[in-house]
Amino acid sequence: MSIIEKTAVTTDRRLSTAQKGSVVQELRGLLGARNVLSTPYDLTLYEYDASIERGKPDIVVLPSSTEEVAAIVRLAARYQIPVVPRGAGTGLSGGAVPIQGGIVISFARMNRILEIDIPNLRAVVQPGLVNLHLSNALLPQGFYYVPDPSSQRSCTLGGNVGENAGGPHTLLYGVTTNHVTGLEIVTAEGEVIEVGGTTCDTPGYDLTGLLIGSEGTLCIVTKIIVRIVPVPESVKTMIAVFNTMDDASNTVSEIIASGVIPAALEMMDHMILQAVEADTHAGYPMDAAAVLLIEAEGLKESVTEQVEQIVAISKKHHARLIRIAANETERQLLWAGRKNAFGAVGRISPEFYVQDGVVPRTKLPYVLRRIQEICDRYDLKVGNVFHAGDGNLHPLILFDSQKPGEVERVRQAGHEILAVCAEVGGSITGEHGVGLEKQAEMALIFSDVDLHVMQQVRAAWNPNELFNPGKLFPLPGRCADIRHLSSCDSKQTSRKG
Amino acid sequence: MDDLASNLALETEVQTDKAVLQACAVDGVEPRMVVTPASVQEAAHVVAEVRRNGLQLLPRGGGTRLHLGGVPQHIDIVLNTTRLSRLLEHEAPDLTCRVEAGITLAELQRQLAQKGQQLALDPPDEEQTTIGGLLASNASGPRRLRYGTARDLAIGLRTIQPNGEISQSGGRVVKNVAGYDLNKLYIGSFGTLGVIVEANFKLHPLPPAERTLLLAYSEVKEAMQTVSALLRSPLGPTAIELLDRGAMNRLLRRAGFQLPAQGYALAVHYEGNIRVINRQIHDTYLLARQYNALIGDELEEKEQLAFWKSIRQLLSEKFTCAVSLPIADVARYFQLIEAVSQRHNLETATIAHAGNGILFIEIEGIAEPMSDNDQQRLAEAVEALRLSARELRGHLIVERCPTSFKHRVDVWGATNKDFALMQRLKQQLDPDGTFVKGRFLGGL
Repeated sequence: MSIIEKTAVTTDRRLSTAQKGSVVQELRGLLGARNVLSTPYDLTLYEYDASIERGKPDIVVLPSSTEEVAAIVRLAARYQIPVVPRGAGTGLSGGAVPIQGGIVISFARMNRILEIDIPNLRAVVQPGLVNLHLSNALLPQGFYYVPDPSSQRSCTLGGNVGENAGGPHTLLYGVTTNHVTGLEIVTAEGEVIEVGGTTCDTPGYDLTGLLIGSEGTLCIVTKIIVRIVPVPESVKTMIAVFNTMDDASNTVSEIIASGVIPAALEMMDHMILQAVEADTHAGYPMDAAAVLLIEAEGLKESVTEQVEQIVAISKKHHARLIRIAANETERQLLWAGRKNAFGAVGRISPEFYVQDGVVPRTKLPYVLRRIQEICDRYDLKVGNVFHAGDGNLHPLILFDSQKPGEVERVRQAGHEILAVCAEVGGSITGEHGVGLEKQAEMALIFSDVDLHVMQQVRAAWNPNELFNPGKLFPLPGRCADIRHLSSCDSKQTSRKG
Repeated sequence: MDDLASNLALETEVQTDKAVLQACAVDGVEPRMVVTPASVQEAAHVVAEVRRNGLQLLPRGGGTRLHLGGVPQHIDIVLNTTRLSRLLEHEAPDLTCRVEAGITLAELQRQLAQKGQQLALDPPDEEQTTIGGLLASNASGPRRLRYGTARDLAIGLRTIQPNGEISQSGGRVVKNVAGYDLNKLYIGSFGTLGVIVEANFKLHPLPPAERTLLLAYSEVKEAMQTVSALLRSPLGPTAIELLDRGAMNRLLRRAGFQLPAQGYALAVHYEGNIRVINRQIHDTYLLARQYNALIGDELEEKEQLAFWKSIRQLLSEKFTCAVSLPIADVARYFQLIEAVSQRHNLETATIAHAGNGILFIEIEGIAEPMSDNDQQRLAEAVEALRLSARELRGHLIVERCPTSFKHRVDVWGATNKDFALMQRLKQQLDPDGTFVKGRFLGGL
C-alpha cells in the first residue's frame, strides 16, 4: 500500500467460521481460554496502532512464554494463517495492524526483565517490557538503556526491535540496533533459536542486525539482550529561540558541522510550540518561529565546553533567547513538552498525520521550505517537531477526516514530502518503519534490484509470508506507478518554482 | 576461462602469470585468473561473466585479512578491487562520505583529515587494508570501545549480486529504517553474499587532543577490576587494552616500549578536549590506585601514536586466536590461558580489548611446516581454550594459523542452531555458489 491509497483489506486468507472455531479451540487448549480473544468486541481493540491504518484480526492471543509463542506459530503454520506480533500498539506505520487478519500475538504478558548483569553491561528482557520500565529498573544502580522513543512510557522493547526505534537521544548514541547484542526468536517453522549473544562479534552472519527493524516479517522475537550504559555525570538542557525557521535549521547544520555532537538536538516550530505550551506549560515561547531543544551530556567539563559552543553558534544565527534549564524540574518539563508534542497537537486538530523522512542535515533549511510549500499547495496546516540533529523530520499534517477529500489531500502531501526527502538523498523513514503506510514509497529510494534482494531474504526465512504479511514491500506492479507519479510531482513543482 | 577473459571490458586488467596467481593464493589454493576492473560497472560485469560460466569468484582488496577463515574449496577468479579507489563524496558539514571499496583505510583517512574528520575505525594494516576488505571481514581495533564497529558506522552499501546486478542497501543519511538492514548482513560476510563496491559512512571529527595512561599490575584480577570500574564510571575511555607479559615483551622487542617485565599492563586512551582529558586521566589514576596499580606513565604526541600503532600490529605472526567473552570473565580467562600454555608447553602473548571482552592470543615459536607433535599439542590447547570460552557464553576463532592446521581444527568452531538460518540466506542470495565457499563459518 502507499500513503496515497486507502487501506484495502485483502481477504484471500481470511478464516472461515468453522476453521476459526477449531483454531480457537486449539489455542485455548494451549494457552487457556482467558488468553485467547475472538469476539468482535475484544478484537476491535487490536485492529489499529498509532498510524491511520486499520485491519481486524481473527484471533488475539496472549502467551506467557517462548514455548507458547512457538506452539502458536506452529499451529498457525499448520492452518496457514498469518501471525502478527504486537507490543503496545504505539507504532506509527501500521506494523502491528493485521491487514490480512489471522492471529495477533500480544506480548502484554511477556513483560519481564529476566536478568540485569551490571558487570557485563547487559540486560535480558522479554519483548513485552515497556521501554521506560527497563531504565527505571536500572537507574537506582546508575545505569540506563539509551534508545528513548517519545512513546517510551508505553512502547515495548519488542516493538522497538521490530521497528529499529530511535528517539531524541539517539543522535550521539545510536538507535536500537546499536544497543541490542542478541535475540531469541521463533522461526516460521516454530523453532526457537538464539542469534547473536552477550559477547561481541559472534561468528557467522550478523543475524541480530538483520532482524532488528525487519518489522515482524522474518521472525517473532521472544527475548532481547541489550547493552546498558552508566548515566552521565552531568546533563545540561537548553532551548534556543528563533524568529525564523531558517535561522534555527542553519544553527542545527552548523552545530553538526562544527563537530559538536550533543546528546539531543530537537526542533519545534511555531505551530507545535502553540500546542505544546497549551498542553504542558513547559515555558516555551509561543510567538517564536522555531525553538531548538538541545541537550549536552557527559563529564561536567565537557558539558560546559559544549554549551559554550552551542550558545555561540546559536547567537551567530540570531537566536533571540537562549535559556538553560536551571534545575532537573525545569529540564523534565522541557522534555515533557517535547515528548508529549504529538498528543498536544490533538488540542488544535481532531487528527494529524505524521511523516518520518530523513534528509542530510545540510539540506534541512531547503527541505523544511519545501514541506511548507507542499502543504500550502494542498491547503493543509503542518507543524514540525523532529530530531533535527539526525535530519529526521516529523512533519505533522493536521486534518479532519470528516471533511470530504481531506484525507486524500493529506496522503498526497505526505507522499510528496517523502519524494522531496528521496530527491535530496534521504530516506522515507528514520525510525517509524515502512509498515503498511509507505510500501509503495520504498520505490522512491530503492530500485527493483534492491527490493528483490530484500525479498530473497524474506523468502529465505518466511517463505509462506505468514509473518506479518502485506507489509514493507511494494505490492507487485506499483513501483513503476509511484516512480511515474513522483517524476510528475517534481515537474509540477519545478514549473511552479 | 579464455572465453570469459575475452568478454570482459578492455579496461579490465586480466592476469594469469604464475607469480601473480601465487601471490593471490589463499591457504595454498591458487586462483586461475586475477581480474582488476577499473570501475564498479566493469566489476559487476566480471561477476556476471563468472556466474554465466559457472565459475567461482573471490573478491580481494589489500589481502590483509585473507588468512581468516577455512580453506577455500576452489577459486577460479580473484576480483581485485584496488582500482576502485575514489573518495566519491565527502559531505563534511553532514559528517558523511561515500567511497569506493578499493581505497585503503589510510588513504581515506588522509583525505578526510583535510577537513578535520575521520572514519572512526582503527584495525591493523591501515596502509593496505581496503574499505571493502575491512567491511567484509568486520575488522576493528582498540577504539571500538567508544565508536563501535563497521556495523555502527556504515550507513549504506552498494553490493554486486551474483548475477552481476548492483544493489543498494541503506542510504546516505545517518538514520534510516527503510526496508531490511542489509548493511548488517554484508558486513562480516566475507564476500559470501556479494561483492561490496561502495560504502557510505557516518564520520567523526578528529579529536583536538588525545592521551594514553599506562598502568602496571601484578594481578590480572586487579587490572580487570580497574577496567570494570572505568566502564561503570562516566569517564568514557576511547580504548582500554590489557597486555600480559608475553605481549609486553613483544612490544619491547618490536617497538622498544619498556613496560614492566612481569605482571600485566593496561593502556587507557582518552580523546577530546584537553581540559576534559586532564580530568579523565586524573580520575583514572585515582581509580587505578584503589586496585593497586603499580606505576603510571603517560604517553603523548609521537610516542603515543607509535604505541597505538604497535598495539594494533602486535599480533600478526603465525598463530593467533581471537576470543570473545563477557567482560566479567576476562581475568579468569587470562589465568586459564596461562594454565593451558603451561600444560601444553606453549609460549603465548595475549592482548585484550578489555572493555569489549575480546582477547587475542598469539602462540609463539610455531615452526612451519608444523610437526605432528606441534599439531597435536596446539589442537588440544585450542580445543581446551575453546571449550572454556563456550562455557562462559563466548567463543574462540583461530584467526591465523598454518593451512595444515585448518584441516585439523575448524577455525570458526562448531556452528549453533542459528546456522540453519545462515544457510538459507546463502542459498537464496547465492544459489549457484558463485562466491567462493569453504572460508566462512560452517563452510559457507
